[in-house]
Amino acid sequence: MNRGNDRLENLLIPFELLEPRTLPEALSMLADDDTAVRPMGGGTALMLMMKAAVFTPRRLVSLRALAPALGGIALDERGALCLGGMATLSSLEHSALVKTHASVITRAMPQLSNVRVRHVATVGGALAHADPHMDLPTILTALDARVQIAGPGGSRELFVDALITGYYETALAGNELITGVAIDAVPGRKAAYIKCTTRAADDWPALGVALSLVCSGGHIETARVVIGAATDRPTRVPAAEAALAGALIEGTTLAAATLDRVRDAVASQVVYTSDAQGSGAYKRQLARVHVVRAITAALQA
Amino acid sequence: MDTKVSPDQVIDAQQVGRSVPRMEGAAKVTGRAEYIHNLRLPGVLHGKVFRSRIAHGRILSIDTSAARAVAGVHSVVTGEDIRRIIPEPYYGPAFHDQPILALDKVRYVGEPVAAVLAADPHVAEYAAGLITAEYEELPAVFNEVEAATSSVYVHDELKPAITFPDLKHLKGKRNTNVALDYKLRRGDVAAAFASAAHVFEHEFHTQHIMHTPFEPFVALAEPLDDSVTIHTSSQMPAYVRLEIARLLGWPENKVRARTAYLGGGFGAKVYVKIEPLVVALALLARRPVKMSLTMEEQFYVIGKHATTFRIKSAITADGRIAARKCEVFWNGGAYADIGPRVSQKSGFTSTGPYQIECAEIDSAEIYTNLPPAGAFRGFGIPQLVWAYESHTDIIARALKIDPLEFRRRNILHDGQEHPTGTVMRDAEFDEVLVRIAARMGWDQPFDRGTGTKRRGRGIAIGVKASIAPTTSFALVNVSADGSAVLFCNTIDMGQASNTANAQLVAEVLGIAAERVKVTQADTDVTPFDMGTLGSRSMFHMGHAVRLAAEHARTQLEALCAEGGITYSGEQSVAQGFRKKFGMQAGNIFGVGHYTSRYQAADPVTGMSKEVTPFWMIGGAGIELEVDTETGHVTILRMVNVVDAGRAINPRVVETQISGAALMQMGQTMTEEMIFTSAGELTNPSLAYYKIPGIHDIPASIENEAVEAETRNGPFGSKGVGESGTFGVSPAIANAIDDAVGVRLYSLPLTPESIYRAICAARGEPLED
Repeated sequence: MNRGNDRLENLLIPFELLEPRTLPEALSMLADDDTAVRPMGGGTALMLMMKAAVFTPRRLVSLRALAPALGGIALDERGALCLGGMATLSSLEHSALVKTHASVITRAMPQLSNVRVRHVATVGGALAHADPHMDLPTILTALDARVQIAGPGGSRELFVDALITGYYETALAGNELITGVAIDAVPGRKAAYIKCTTRAADDWPALGVALSLVCSGGHIETARVVIGAATDRPTRVPAAEAALAGALIEGTTLAAATLDRVRDAVASQVVYTSDAQGSGAYKRQLARVHVVRAITAALQA
Repeated sequence: MDTKVSPDQVIDAQQVGRSVPRMEGAAKVTGRAEYIHNLRLPGVLHGKVFRSRIAHGRILSIDTSAARAVAGVHSVVTGEDIRRIIPEPYYGPAFHDQPILALDKVRYVGEPVAAVLAADPHVAEYAAGLITAEYEELPAVFNEVEAATSSVYVHDELKPAITFPDLKHLKGKRNTNVALDYKLRRGDVAAAFASAAHVFEHEFHTQHIMHTPFEPFVALAEPLDDSVTIHTSSQMPAYVRLEIARLLGWPENKVRARTAYLGGGFGAKVYVKIEPLVVALALLARRPVKMSLTMEEQFYVIGKHATTFRIKSAITADGRIAARKCEVFWNGGAYADIGPRVSQKSGFTSTGPYQIECAEIDSAEIYTNLPPAGAFRGFGIPQLVWAYESHTDIIARALKIDPLEFRRRNILHDGQEHPTGTVMRDAEFDEVLVRIAARMGWDQPFDRGTGTKRRGRGIAIGVKASIAPTTSFALVNVSADGSAVLFCNTIDMGQASNTANAQLVAEVLGIAAERVKVTQADTDVTPFDMGTLGSRSMFHMGHAVRLAAEHARTQLEALCAEGGITYSGEQSVAQGFRKKFGMQAGNIFGVGHYTSRYQAADPVTGMSKEVTPFWMIGGAGIELEVDTETGHVTILRMVNVVDAGRAINPRVVETQISGAALMQMGQTMTEEMIFTSAGELTNPSLAYYKIPGIHDIPASIENEAVEAETRNGPFGSKGVGESGTFGVSPAIANAIDDAVGVRLYSLPLTPESIYRAICAARGEPLED
């Protein structure tokens, strides 16, 4: 046995935890060039990464104190639904505004993660983390949501599609923060999300399928079809969207030939990753099935 | 103890058979129940372990210098350091094969190699991460069937412990990975197969599983002047004392093992696990040492055996099982733990609960370079039932005999001989089948679904022998006011044993169960018990408690009689004490003990007239729906029926049944420890190793203990902690076959495996 230093002073300080009171203060604490400095919303994903030693922070900037300012849910003057970057998933789940203006989110929430995580996980965190297994980015991509970003040089806006660039990769600089998300009001838009798990129900999805259909006069004008979880990032399927555009709505479904084209498009136009939740071939089959079920769900919504 | 129940309350209701609310319930739901995990002692050091990253290798060097240099590190300990206080630092209940920290070799990824002590657990963890080791890598073997004949040997030599006489012959055996090969030979099997109308042969597999108690392994060792106290979350404090005393060469009375409530055990916390290491560290450091494993580390301590089971049956023209051959390979991992007991004690029931005149069993515990496997709720039985009840169902369907009818035609009845040679007594197999069928409306038309949603139903039944011979002691202390305290080592880890044991004391003494207090196990004061495992406690400890209470009552009646008082429970006892001692003073001690009967198996035939004091019987009925486009299964209805003898506490029996069944459901559908080809575990985390959540629970669960009486059991009862696990896995697989006509041979039954089987069955296999 080798005796070492038994004194308690001079202990390791593994990392610094800061809690800024204002957005400018928060931005000033971040660093563009140091990946060991990270902002933290609810911290649910970061804590897992830290426990697994995948991420070792030098500094964590907790945004908890910004929640009163950035945690709101409101409509703007043009009727867009605005979700604060620090709005928790459970605040979305229980919001009457969300239910009225983006009920697809309300319906998805109870199956998403678990109640303890939903109480602290935030909208901004879910987007900035860019874990492909998150459900919300896929849904927000289908809703063509705009992401408001604050940085040292001012603010900018990106569509979710442009924000998430790859597997855990975003267009965010290290010293930028997501302050909110806006979902424009689109008359006649119906949306659905299917979370498909292959292990326990509270697992991350093996596949997420989100779609929105802008309907008018008994037919679909435009559609957005997004595959998540089984791909590196929420992935739109233009060929499926093209197949849906102009399709005649027959009750809560579409013509068989249209559905075939959509099925074939999601099967052939997307690369599905193999992992412990299932092989790529199996996830492709899941996508084929669930995209049609999502269409039905959207038309029933 | 519920002080709201008055001592002068007239006890007219029977205490046995009453659903007394759990004694610890309020403390648990208000966060006040004691757990070792929450124990704080001044001056404590925290231990963190550096683990092997290779599956098999000779240790060339261990570099602890960087860890020692970390500020706040007290010391770093390797296997060689431990030899200074424990010259032979190998432990294990069946084989003395497991080093406290690796010596000479490492044998699995995750094996403890060195430990760091620090006052701050985070410092210890950080420093442990700085340790490095150099190895000469050796070829490794992971699959149990390959390992049985491999020339890669996990251990150079077998080292059986003295505990089990039937392992003695293995001492010194070299060049083998077979730790124990149990054989049963009954009747002319070859002739039965030669004359059979039908022969069926299948191979089934089960996966590696972890118990995942929500309180991971935790122990705190406190060195005293010439003794040591071990605070530990253990199902077996008496064994902890025994094994630590053996390792140290100390008398038992210098080792004190105590527990609190356990945050789950499920067989993980039997025998010793981290206690030898914690004690060694504490003695080396001369400071209290605590180790609290993380959920992730827990996966490297102990798990459930993966198995391969080859089963072959000879069936007569009238649909009777004439002969059955069973070959079971148990993947025991790198250290035997209690695995050889699993392969034998469960192995001998491999033929199932059926009348089979000719039987042959080979059940072998195999060493591999994976984490050790040992006891797990059911002690091997769920793996066996999975195979023999899937096999049985395939036979029935192939012969166009109703699966219920086929089972009832072959099921064992009281008075008939099990293939082991033991005659069935108080074993309600047929009644369990009848009740499952009645609840499911088996003879009624069944909605088989339409389109892409197909419905099916399945049943299964299994049997388990108890662990014998084993011994329990109990002590009842009646105070001068007539209230009673029960001292016993049965560990309440959620199964409400304290409540049930209090009911037994109360029944005998004629007082309310709520007036009996049950102590936590502490080997300085609570008498010996073999351990809380294998559903043995209700039977064995139940008898010991009953006898102790009867002994106390005899003395209490005499005390009262001496004072001219008629014995009538607490008030009369208080009067008796006052009369005798002139004040409220004194105690009456009642002691009792019980050892179950057992006859060792014949070394040639493997048979015995008395393999178990009682039989556990559990069956399940499942109705489910399969999504034929995705392979997803929705369990619509789960019916669990067991023979638990007479229920001491019916409500607790019900929750034991449902808890066991749901645990087995998780292992059937989602749970799996996944290893790389190098033996590295890829998912040691609850985030990636998925146990069922509340949304996975079937919409309808029915639980029933059939009307039964165990005539040799305390108040007619027997154990029930595991019976609910037996039938679940095959009942689900049988229902899937019924729904979509595909048969699965490996657990878990993932949606992908089901979908692939559906595709293969229609001749369009899904690409890999």
